[in-house]
Amino acid sequence: MEHEVPGSAPEQVPLRCQNVALRINRDQLEVFFPMLQRGVTVQASLGCPLGEFLCAQLGIPEEYVAGRITTIFLDNRPVDDLERSLIREGSRVTLSAAMPGLVGATMRRSGFYAALRQGITHQEQGGAAGAGQGTVRLKLFNLLLPELAPLVLAHGVLLQREELDALLRALEAASRMGVASSYLCGRDACGGILVTVSLRE
Amino acid sequence: MDKFARIDMGAAGGPKVTVGPVGEYAGLGGRAMTSLVVAAEVHPLAHALGAENKLVIAPGMLSGTTGSMTGRLSVGCKSPLTGTIKESNAGGQAAQVLARLGYAAVVLEGKPEGDDLYKIVINKDGIQVIVDNSLKLMDNYPLVAKLRGEYGDRAAYMTIGSAGERGLLAASIACTDPELRPTRHCGRGGVGAVMGAKKVKAIILDDAGMKMRPPVDPIKYRDANRKFVEGLKKHPVTGEGLPAYGTNVLTNVLNEAGGYPTRNFKTGQFEGASDLSGETQAALEIKRGGSATHGCHRGCVIQCSGIYNDKDGNYLTKQPEYETVWSHGGHCGISDLDTVAMLDYMDDNIGVDTIEMGVTIGVAMDAGIIEFGDDAGAIRLMEEVGKGTPLGRVLGCGATVTGKVFAVERVPVVKDQALPAYDPRAVQGIGVTYATTTQGADHTAGYAIATNILKVGGDVDPLKTEGQVELSRNLQIATAAIDSTGMCLFIAFAILDQPETFQALLDMLGGFYGITMTGDDVVALGKKVLLAERDFNSRAGFTKHHDRLPRFFYNETIAPHNQAFLMKDEELDEVFNF
Repeated sequence: MEHEVPGSAPEQVPLRCQNVALRINRDQLEVFFPMLQRGVTVQASLGCPLGEFLCAQLGIPEEYVAGRITTIFLDNRPVDDLERSLIREGSRVTLSAAMPGLVGATMRRSGFYAALRQGITHQEQGGAAGAGQGTVRLKLFNLLLPELAPLVLAHGVLLQREELDALLRALEAASRMGVASSYLCGRDACGGILVTVSLRE
Repeated sequence: MDKFARIDMGAAGGPKVTVGPVGEYAGLGGRAMTSLVVAAEVHPLAHALGAENKLVIAPGMLSGTTGSMTGRLSVGCKSPLTGTIKESNAGGQAAQVLARLGYAAVVLEGKPEGDDLYKIVINKDGIQVIVDNSLKLMDNYPLVAKLRGEYGDRAAYMTIGSAGERGLLAASIACTDPELRPTRHCGRGGVGAVMGAKKVKAIILDDAGMKMRPPVDPIKYRDANRKFVEGLKKHPVTGEGLPAYGTNVLTNVLNEAGGYPTRNFKTGQFEGASDLSGETQAALEIKRGGSATHGCHRGCVIQCSGIYNDKDGNYLTKQPEYETVWSHGGHCGISDLDTVAMLDYMDDNIGVDTIEMGVTIGVAMDAGIIEFGDDAGAIRLMEEVGKGTPLGRVLGCGATVTGKVFAVERVPVVKDQALPAYDPRAVQGIGVTYATTTQGADHTAGYAIATNILKVGGDVDPLKTEGQVELSRNLQIATAAIDSTGMCLFIAFAILDQPETFQALLDMLGGFYGITMTGDDVVALGKKVLLAERDFNSRAGFTKHHDRLPRFFYNETIAPHNQAFLMKDEELDEVFNF
């Protein structure tokens, strides 16, 4: 189902759905930031390099990945080589812009101070990375939140019913208009409810 | 900046002021000035709170000019916390004003008899030392408010709170920001206790009637400053990340890396990190009518600070920095930003180092004094420090003392100074600096200065693991040099990535002093400072065996990487082999 947020006339009939499409104003985007900061589950083709996941699957331009996403973690380990780091079921991918401090500089991808974090740098261990469709946990930090949120949300995030409940309430609070209460009843689908978000221009 | 002032607080008949030429210390600023004076003039075995210690206050080489980011003030002495030499620096207005008044350094010497408390007024007419016992045991916010009533809003104020008067080893010296709030602190090492021991409660700096310091080559200086500012503004860290989120933008990243010390260094990730993050903090500050972007001194273009208002929209404190949010937050199992902000305010008001106090409260939690995550309990402990109760005095003397009093085995200190917010088991390289720095554990002792551009120590392959000792050495040398310029350390990122911005910095120094500066000159200055500090520490009884992390870092692994600190002692001993 598709839904405009905010809407002027809240539906009163409970809806059952596995897919929710929201259209929001750009100024409502920040409602999603806490959730994106903590991490969201997104669908992904498994077994591919991290670079391919970011560019081909999420649709992030290559030059943006190269120049802006200077700090990337895969399963809590800073990544230097996007092409030799593979996406697996349940992988945790975290994206950040350049960070201050020595440790911020140390975490940078292939940065000059990468040696200072030896021992936690991501090393692809080999072994099967799996194939087919699966899910990845994705986090966005700092400057990337406003910049990448539209792409990630357009790709869609999988939410549990209570997460969608909280999100819609937050959107409602942000818009100060009644919209959301009747959309809190998505079916308990395996993997959650796929929520896609587009921006009104 | 051609004057050098000595104030003998213990002189017969009362404090005596001597102002003379800079002499043998000519051309020095900031940390170079403080460390070389202390190394040359303070007996290394002196009691840090005794008459033999000196408190050296020095603006940077470019402070008081029209240059951007030039407002760091260095304070140096023998540290009562660590027993080593100490340089502690802060932003705020003091450095700019002191430099415009023409002082390369003001040195507090001796120790007065009796209980009188003094304030020192420095203006265009000279230096006055005045007894003012009405200031006794005042804390920084009311103290500055009272002084403003007398000396006005043009002045900059350096003050100590009740902690400094009581000689607590975590005591800081506060410097007022452009809004005349005592929010910028020379925090580390107990420098406030040294000022308190000399019975100096406040230094009032008034540059009315003074002008900006003129460069030797005004056009070169102006052009270099313009390029320098352009470089800062175009860099994603100094031009975007820091202005938007402040240093607390690191919380999420460190937590993700598993290097966020949690509940007194028991694990590397905190479940409440996103509630404390810079992103969350900035959104809250804006929502409450504060600000996520604010400069700690005039002339700052990075604007990494902010204004933190309470739930009712009233000013509570400046934007707490990452290390503060960590020490009072995740380190103590606390995830409420309002609690952290209140503790930050209390630190500033009482006049104690936020890192030392947060770490100490975490140690006290480990001792069972209160539970981890006890927000109200943490505030209560800080109140004890402010009141000067026996427990408060123990806590105010830092993590080592508190650990000993309460028999805590896990006390995260090096040379008795609390570790900042980065676990050396996850980021091994920073552990090398923590262990070996002349200052005690200090995250700014080996900052991300452009060693690649400076070629400090020659080329190092950063992807070779054996490069860590070399990197730490080079970073410490480069940082000592930058600390001497009076430039904010956050310029590091722009000069790290943009050689033209580093060249602009060199050209600023060259244009101001009419000299040609090269990277080699910067490296030579850094080495000179470090060797003097190292020599002082050696004469004070410190050996290579003090250049170690606490044993628990070697014996306990930390999740999620399940890694201990792996650097060998022999490798650590190589850091100072230059």
